[in-house]
Amino acid sequence: MRRPMRFATVLPVVAALLAATACSSTPPAAENKTLKIVYQKSDSFTALDTVMQDAKKEFEAANSSVTVNLEPIQANDDDYGTKLALAQRSPDTAPDVFYEDTFKVRSDVDAGYLLKLDSYLEKWDDWSRFNEAAKAAGRADDGGIYAVPLGTDTRAIWYNKAVLQKAGIAVPWQPKTWEDILSTARAIKASDPSVIPFNMYAGKGTGEGTVMQSFYELLYGTDSTLYDEKEKKWVVGSQGFTDSLAFLKTLYDEKLAVSPAEALDANVWKKVFGEWFPQGKLAATVEGSYTPSFWQKGGAYEWAGYEQEMGVAMFPSRNGQEPGGVSMSGGWTLAVGAKSKNAELAFKFLTTALNKKNALAFDVNNSQIAVRTDVAAESSYLSANPFVKDVSELVKVTHYRPATADYPRISTAVQVATESVITGKQSPEDAAAEYDATVRKLVGDGKVLER
Amino acid sequence: MSRPRIAADIALAVIGFCFVAPLLWLLLAAVDPHAGYQTAVPSAPSMDNFGAVFTPELLFQPLTNSFLLSAGTAAVNLVAAVLAAYPLSRYQSRFNKPFMYSVLFGTSLPVTAIMVPVYGLFVQLQLLDSMMATIFFMATTTLPMAIWMMKNFMDSVPLELEEAAWMDGASSMAALRTIVLPLMRQGLGVVFIFVFIQAWGNFFVPFILLLSTAKQPAAVSIFSFFGQHGAIAYGQLAAFSILYSVPVLLLYVLVSRSVGSSFALSGSVKG
Amino acid sequence: MTIRRYLRLLPVVPSVLLLLVFLLAPVAWSFYASFTNAALSGRAARDPQWVGLENYVRMFSDDSFPLAAWLTVVFVAASAVLGQNVLGLLIALLMRRSRKAVSSWVGTAVVAAWILPEIVAAFAAYAYFNRDGTLNQMLALFGGKGPDWLYTFPLVAIILANTWRGTAFSMLVYRAALADVPQDVSEAALMDGAQGWQRLAFITLPLIRSSIATNLMLITLQTLAVFTLIWVMTAGGPANASTTLPVLAYQEAFKFGDIGYGTAVASVLIVLGVVFGAVYVRLLREQKP
Repeated sequence: MRRPMRFATVLPVVAALLAATACSSTPPAAENKTLKIVYQKSDSFTALDTVMQDAKKEFEAANSSVTVNLEPIQANDDDYGTKLALAQRSPDTAPDVFYEDTFKVRSDVDAGYLLKLDSYLEKWDDWSRFNEAAKAAGRADDGGIYAVPLGTDTRAIWYNKAVLQKAGIAVPWQPKTWEDILSTARAIKASDPSVIPFNMYAGKGTGEGTVMQSFYELLYGTDSTLYDEKEKKWVVGSQGFTDSLAFLKTLYDEKLAVSPAEALDANVWKKVFGEWFPQGKLAATVEGSYTPSFWQKGGAYEWAGYEQEMGVAMFPSRNGQEPGGVSMSGGWTLAVGAKSKNAELAFKFLTTALNKKNALAFDVNNSQIAVRTDVAAESSYLSANPFVKDVSELVKVTHYRPATADYPRISTAVQVATESVITGKQSPEDAAAEYDATVRKLVGDGKVLER
Repeated sequence: MSRPRIAADIALAVIGFCFVAPLLWLLLAAVDPHAGYQTAVPSAPSMDNFGAVFTPELLFQPLTNSFLLSAGTAAVNLVAAVLAAYPLSRYQSRFNKPFMYSVLFGTSLPVTAIMVPVYGLFVQLQLLDSMMATIFFMATTTLPMAIWMMKNFMDSVPLELEEAAWMDGASSMAALRTIVLPLMRQGLGVVFIFVFIQAWGNFFVPFILLLSTAKQPAAVSIFSFFGQHGAIAYGQLAAFSILYSVPVLLLYVLVSRSVGSSFALSGSVKG
Repeated sequence: MTIRRYLRLLPVVPSVLLLLVFLLAPVAWSFYASFTNAALSGRAARDPQWVGLENYVRMFSDDSFPLAAWLTVVFVAASAVLGQNVLGLLIALLMRRSRKAVSSWVGTAVVAAWILPEIVAAFAAYAYFNRDGTLNQMLALFGGKGPDWLYTFPLVAIILANTWRGTAFSMLVYRAALADVPQDVSEAALMDGAQGWQRLAFITLPLIRSSIATNLMLITLQTLAVFTLIWVMTAGGPANASTTLPVLAYQEAFKFGDIGYGTAVASVLIVLGVVFGAVYVRLLREQKP
């Protein structure tokens, strides 16, 4: 009887195969609880990492039986979103606490990734110190609150004073209309063709930056809008949309912005902050209130004289119509995973990371606009950089992205339209028509509004 | 020396130069602390770039992960392919042909196409971010080729030796272990290295299946560290690339020295 | 007796299991998911719905899919069938004629591009085709001013890059095949002008016909699956000008979170692979009586 021998040699292999695929993740130890914290970190964004390291120390000191595992994801905003979503799908890779862009909150609540925090927030005294807009940022369609913001931001025109002056433009500069921007940009181009006069992002490369720091400043300054909040419908066929695309086309066609090739590079913003502004190669661009965080001491692209050399201006509405200008606000939040096995502890960690001390450190280091009233009153916050007052005042003219679950996909459609226009693949009219068609397909004919 | 021969030399040299040109940048930028995209002889060559990437978190851990993934993948392949190749090579059966052809068929699946469904499958089975499961998946993608090669190597081991062993009362598995495998050591090495090299260079699979930084191999860490477009540390990127490539280049040299450079094809094409 | 014969096949089981779990199951899942609206976020992430043929209908009403399919065909035809295949054959033929030192040096150069990890090859190609890169530097030497390849001619750039990376395979295949062809036949082919070309066409090539067929199939399948090279060099851009099917599937599924549509695109790719695979298996069967 020799045959059984063969069984004996083969079976363990089969068994090992099955075993290995069946139980590949190690179960957590029964006694010691661990929390998994996922957030973004990159060579130009370390402020949150610092806060998380501090919060971990603080939290572990107060809760000796809990281990906090920090798992920063090294990626840009777009890839971070993808990686986070990939991890969310599976209960054993889903994080306990994570860093989440406000515009994804509703969509991810719908997906069932976020824990409803209302009952926890009731018991957290500090919650009363968050301003109303901040409380709304984490609210979902059911009225519940699912995320707590770290800070918020506004968008403005940032310009290099010296470059403008060299072209004979008086500073402080405040364009009143789109035409003002174009004429100034043309003047700069005429005086020094090697300078990029006025850059605005476009294309899929810069992702959400394309819409937040470029397209929406244009669109919301026309008489149109992206989404009708009253009717709860998406606007299609608007002249404002086509005109906004046409404005971008003018900028790129006349070479007032960077070359389309550079615009599509996902890292173009690093060049804006790290090379072009400090070296005087760029006159002006639209960027967020967090801009100083790159240049201040400890920032990714330290620039000693930026306080004196840079100026900030409100982005004008198209013809200067009321209220005269446009800004966009977003910001990031912390949220607790719906699949967290230690929700209570996870929320506790969230409150540690967002306490006054840590929130202040984050808002100062990342040049965020504070959402906690006690932080906003701190002198170290108010004097963090010379632009705090200017950018905070833009809250008066600011807009928020439509808080709907469909938004992320609509945003992608807008980015595609800008890319088609600046690369010359489509005319603004055709790109707008394709956007309309995409929107109809995404949300259905019942949820669009022809204008 | 005839003219055609010189013409052939020149034509080949031109082609060879075209193939080397893209690699020149890698070599020169690695020793240039101020490297850009231009290929230029550095004004002040130094090893600074290598020094900068020589850190545990940047270099050693990703390379260790790469090694674990590749060695694991190769080991799984070896075991499974040897076992599968044995009956296919030794017994005539009406299953052999259909099986070999379906194996061959398996080699034609575009792996990048199945990554989206594989991700979905891994979510369902809760295997995401598991090194072990990733190893088994990567092993499966190279398995058809490995079985095919292994069978061909095994076919070249004469049957008579085993028949003698069977006479002496050894089971077929014992004969495989004591007689066939030692005789095809070289073939085993070739398959192992062939799979190892493929796994070492694989980017897409671990990029989708391994999420935590601590488990990611060098292919993924290099991508996330230097950004989609090489970021700004070009010199360091080049230095890292070289350190990451050297092991597989050495392995290839090792194999091609021992069995000739067309090793990778011995199973797949001439078979 | 019959039981014994089945038992003999037992060692094949681990391989079969692996292939079933990790290759066949994803393929099956792919076809299934392509009929749903599974997503990474939103309501469909929690509760995917069966949507029938919707994803496939969208595929053909969308601009991006037909474009990606066309780009894939061009990419495969130009970089595999033309680039790698012809260049590989040419190198192999030249090697038979040239000095040993030259041929081994060139062989090493060609193989190096193939053995490099794909991400490294991709970075090197990105730098090479960059606006300020080596290619334009060389063009400048001859007084030319090169374009921004990755932006203006992204498809050309990825075709050349893939040819560079993959030619080694064809070269090795043809070297092995030509080794079986009598030296004087293939040598003569390159020697006396028009007559030589005729001999190449009518004598040498027919002799290695089966190698050519196998090689074409294999490199076509490999090129069909190229992702990393394109992703690093152009990310499919600008405006989808270099988005082949694998890139489209990745973008739709993971970047835009539309798993259902992404798997539909992937399923089309799988079918393509199966068709080519079937032809390949047929070829091999005909070869070996």
